[in-house]
Amino acid sequence: MTLKKGSFVIEGLENVQINIGKVGAEEEEIAQGPTPRPEIIGLRDWDYRIIDRYNPVYTPTGDTCDFCTYGKCDLTGNKEGACGIDLEGQSARQALMVSIMGAACHSAHGRHLLNYLIKKYGEDFKIDVGPSNLQAPLTETIMGIQPKTIGDFRPVLDYVEEQLTQLIATTNTGQEGAARDFESKALHAGMLDLLGMEVADIIQISCLGFPKSDEKAPMAEIGMGILDPKKPVVICVGHNIAAPAYILDYMDKNGQFDKIEIAGLCCTAHDMTRYNKTAKIIGSMSKELKYIRSGIPDVLVTDEQCVRADILKEAQKLHIPVIATNEKITYGLPDRSNDSVDAIIDDLVSGKQPGVVLLDFEKIGELVPKLAMKMGPIRKAKGLTALPGDEEFKKLVTKCTKCLQCTRDCPQSLPISDAMAAAVNGDLSLFEILHDKCVGCGRCDYSCPADIPVLNVIEKASQRVIREEKGKMRIGRGQIGDPEIREEGRNLVLGTTPGVLAFVGCGNYPDGTKDVYDIVEEMIQRSYIIITSGCSAMDVGMFKDKDGKTLYERYPGRFVKGNLLNTGSCVSNAHIAATTIKVASIFAGRKTKGNWEEIADYVLNRVGAVGIAWGAYSQKAFAIGTGCNRLGIPVVTGPHGTKYRRAFIGKPYRKETWNVLDGRDGSVINIEPAPEHLMITAETKDELMPLLAKLCFRPSDNSLGRAIKLTHYIELSEKYLKKLPDDWHIYVRNEADLPVAKREQLMKLLGEKGWKIDWEKKKILEGPLRKVDVSFQPTNVPRLCKEVKK
Amino acid sequence: MANEFPFEISPMFEGERVRKDDMFVELAGPKSRGFELVRAAGVDEIEDGKFTLIGPDLSQMQEGSRHPYAMIYRVAGKLVEPDLEAIVERRNHDFQNYIQGYMHLNQRYDVWVRINKDAIKKGLASFEQIAKATMMLFKNELSFIEKIDATYITDPDEVEKRREEAIKIYEARDARTRGLHDEDVDVFYGCTLCQSFAPTNACVVTPDRISLCGAINWFDGRAAAKVDPEGPQFAIPKGEVIDPIGGEYSGVNEKAVALSGGEYSRIKIHSFFEYPHTSCGCFEVVGFYIPEVDGIGWVDRDFTGIAPNGLAFSTMAGQTGGGKQIIGFLGVGVNYFRSPKFIQPDGGWKRVVWMPKNLKEKIKADIPPELVDKLPTEENATDLKTLKEFLEKSQHPIMERWKTEEAAPEAEAPSQTQAASGWSMPAPSMPAGMPMMPMQFGGGDGGVKLSFKNAKISIDRIVFKKEK
Repeated sequence: MTLKKGSFVIEGLENVQINIGKVGAEEEEIAQGPTPRPEIIGLRDWDYRIIDRYNPVYTPTGDTCDFCTYGKCDLTGNKEGACGIDLEGQSARQALMVSIMGAACHSAHGRHLLNYLIKKYGEDFKIDVGPSNLQAPLTETIMGIQPKTIGDFRPVLDYVEEQLTQLIATTNTGQEGAARDFESKALHAGMLDLLGMEVADIIQISCLGFPKSDEKAPMAEIGMGILDPKKPVVICVGHNIAAPAYILDYMDKNGQFDKIEIAGLCCTAHDMTRYNKTAKIIGSMSKELKYIRSGIPDVLVTDEQCVRADILKEAQKLHIPVIATNEKITYGLPDRSNDSVDAIIDDLVSGKQPGVVLLDFEKIGELVPKLAMKMGPIRKAKGLTALPGDEEFKKLVTKCTKCLQCTRDCPQSLPISDAMAAAVNGDLSLFEILHDKCVGCGRCDYSCPADIPVLNVIEKASQRVIREEKGKMRIGRGQIGDPEIREEGRNLVLGTTPGVLAFVGCGNYPDGTKDVYDIVEEMIQRSYIIITSGCSAMDVGMFKDKDGKTLYERYPGRFVKGNLLNTGSCVSNAHIAATTIKVASIFAGRKTKGNWEEIADYVLNRVGAVGIAWGAYSQKAFAIGTGCNRLGIPVVTGPHGTKYRRAFIGKPYRKETWNVLDGRDGSVINIEPAPEHLMITAETKDELMPLLAKLCFRPSDNSLGRAIKLTHYIELSEKYLKKLPDDWHIYVRNEADLPVAKREQLMKLLGEKGWKIDWEKKKILEGPLRKVDVSFQPTNVPRLCKEVKK
Repeated sequence: MANEFPFEISPMFEGERVRKDDMFVELAGPKSRGFELVRAAGVDEIEDGKFTLIGPDLSQMQEGSRHPYAMIYRVAGKLVEPDLEAIVERRNHDFQNYIQGYMHLNQRYDVWVRINKDAIKKGLASFEQIAKATMMLFKNELSFIEKIDATYITDPDEVEKRREEAIKIYEARDARTRGLHDEDVDVFYGCTLCQSFAPTNACVVTPDRISLCGAINWFDGRAAAKVDPEGPQFAIPKGEVIDPIGGEYSGVNEKAVALSGGEYSRIKIHSFFEYPHTSCGCFEVVGFYIPEVDGIGWVDRDFTGIAPNGLAFSTMAGQTGGGKQIIGFLGVGVNYFRSPKFIQPDGGWKRVVWMPKNLKEKIKADIPPELVDKLPTEENATDLKTLKEFLEKSQHPIMERWKTEEAAPEAEAPSQTQAASGWSMPAPSMPAGMPMMPMQFGGGDGGVKLSFKNAKISIDRIVFKKEK
């Protein structure tokens, strides 16, 4: 008998076992939009709409391809390689690969946490992220489901992993060839990245008792000068809270917080403070080498992401044992997960082994504090540090021949030899300035022909400022809750909040961490809502005003104009992007489930939010940025961002790319370039600030909003670039759009540009590109229009 | 850009505080006296831009000293009328704070001003400079002001004398605001400002109903409509009264179609159940129908707990917003509780059966005194069972409705059939769109609902065994 398609009746069931995969779905999930679980080309139409306006611009660092054995192929002068790919395609393929790497990193982090948390808390553990109707906005929008338990995220990560595999497959030689489609796929990878991050952070917030959308999260100490180096010191490096949580629990249980100093480097530090507010923060990845070489750590615990590849080598020199707690980074160390804690400690204390791989969290929790208590006294007695002594220091600085090789190799081109020369005369001030600007990469050590350990010299010279390096950071709050967004809606509408700026990403700043502080201070005084995460969130808290207060102490942490919010570690970036989805859902009642294109279209045209990754270095940061782009959020990187080799640049002079539809009737409206770019770099902070103001323009702005945005655009340009912006008038639609304090002066300038103005009534009669219409419903998606005009 | 003033003028300085140590002088404030006042005047009475100072000027004041301070503006123009005075006056706070080094707090007779030493160093020497900048901003922003003059007073006796007059003016104005009702005016105002985010929302602002974000009252609407009649705030002639209790007007209905892009065609301004006003997203409070007691509960944004129906603010708000007419939930501004027409067709305050303690405290004075103690908060009722018990115990007037319903069960069921025919709703959403309450009276320990779709299963016997 064959079973055919159709209906059949089961006559009897005897001794039948019914396996139920999952129990608890109360109602059938109904996707509300057309693209639940989009496949790798499922959102290609939307991607094309973006790419056609914001053209990919490539800055390749090489013009050959050597991916396969046909190569290497010369791709200059529009030549094709052996497989047929050209330089544009190859550049786009690289963008895709970078995006995939980043997405894989966050998603694998999420996977590690999910497996672990399900094992520990069970798959039915309820999600709780604070007061929100949309608990997992990205998951809903991408997957079309509403997760309620942590187990509900299993299919989400299954989807991410499957999609990433599909995307990786397209990068093989002889697969995808069109640049445009590589970019669409890169955008897909970016979106997957946001999704993977959301899963990771929601499950850890829910299970581990992190602040849940808490605007009043407590402050954590931050800086290289906060620890008492006389106590045993444990430093956790990386991004994954799983192992450090056990260490913190063990220390808590045994009352060791006053005996042992424990702090984190990079995002692990964020999540340690979210888990236990007693934990402290040393700083970003830029501080890793500096802090290890100081010799202060007695035990180093590594997990994953943003962990330097040379940690073991550096630690070994100073007899700091390394405990590698995550399969992703193992340094060739032996896996001692099955051995007894005491046996491992013996081997580490004696130096028989420089470190171990240890994947058993219970053992990690017990071992690390015990090990620290043993290592601390031994190491401190020996006074182990890589930094030179006073006499040695004097000798080293005189060795400098001013060949400038270090400056050439330095990513920030720092004037190191000037500092050396000043130090010869006993002036350390130039080194102290370098300490903040130096990203701690250590390349200078290798470049010095006189064998000066340059980084150590910088750090030795900066001991005074390092001791004073003590800041405060408000602990990561997690999501932005719905009630806050509702309250802020009024400010957004009345134009008192000019925009939302998210300072995210790493510490590869062009001119030191102080820039981030300066930029945030300027913009927050202008009532922008400032959201931070990751290393940027830390660096914002490193500086104080004349009253000794950090920005976190000066500005509250609510999602309200002129506030400063820290969402948390890298993976909490998902919440920043997700806030725009909430705005679409809360104010416009847009359906979210499986409805990416409509939501992204809303965000692009209405929500004045911009991401800033001023020190972005990693593939992860690129993936986050690309994911935000697909959601309609513009992103600006610092000058090092050009090394990502791809930007999305809008061209105001190509008028036809700035046509949008009016959702009310489908008529075509030519708009001002708003937002002008999707991914772009700025060279200096002076250039950045007016650019940020400009990128907050949206076609839907009402006059109150436009006037305030234009006010800041003009003022920031005048303040930092010493001129009126060339294009300010493009954003003027009527007299009410003009900044109130400068209305008369600007109107005169418009008159000089040939605009017709009724001077009696002070009304603009002719000149603007279009009129203001608050009910205008700008959209780039024809199917969202009520009637499509032919 | 050229600047005629020795200070920057920008919204950037709005949040600027001048602390005691940085202060050159303190004007008015809690330790002195002062006020600000705007008066409408005839066009011929005013010399545009004229400034008069009574008392010592800034340059004559000692560093660190404190003085009384009054600011009186007279405005004139074809469209200027006394009803706009309060609106213009309130902007004095905004505009003066744009001035770098100048801090303006509070309003009316509570004003409190400080001037920074730095501002003096940069060349601020006279109140005339402040007044000129403020007048410039008034005229730029509020185009119905054709002429404006300013009188500032720092002379103690003169401030005292004029302050008494000013207080009388404030009182008269407040009486006019309180006494002005929907029936007293011919026009309401529509506000579509938030359509930049909430594309189908439109507020109808009347003397008895503030916008639900709480930001725009009838006078604000009137002022904005004068500045730009074609702008986002505009007059809606009331037209004919269709339902005086519910607040339905032909003019409003006509406008409703256009305002909502055709989403709906009737609005009853004060109704909870029938053609209710739409809700955008910024509403301060959500009202929710509780079918089990046939009453309406209210929950505000700041309440983080769970209402007696088992739902949190954000969950209910999620059902309410998006510029849609949703029956069973209603978003309002806190000030709407002060309206004498507060959900009057639905029973007004007698229908209110729950609200969080903090919200109750905030509006206590406006709750009918006989109901104050009968209205439970989270301290008295946390679920439907305790809610019902409290209402019974306190003899809440809602019990009247229970009797009526027992007598005539079909009487209420708030007109859903009629509602459903009026506009296209996602569903006749009274019962269907209402989230059913997770908790039932004395219900067991969380029942299970199984739904089999398109299945034929015949089961001989099911045996439940208790877990060991």
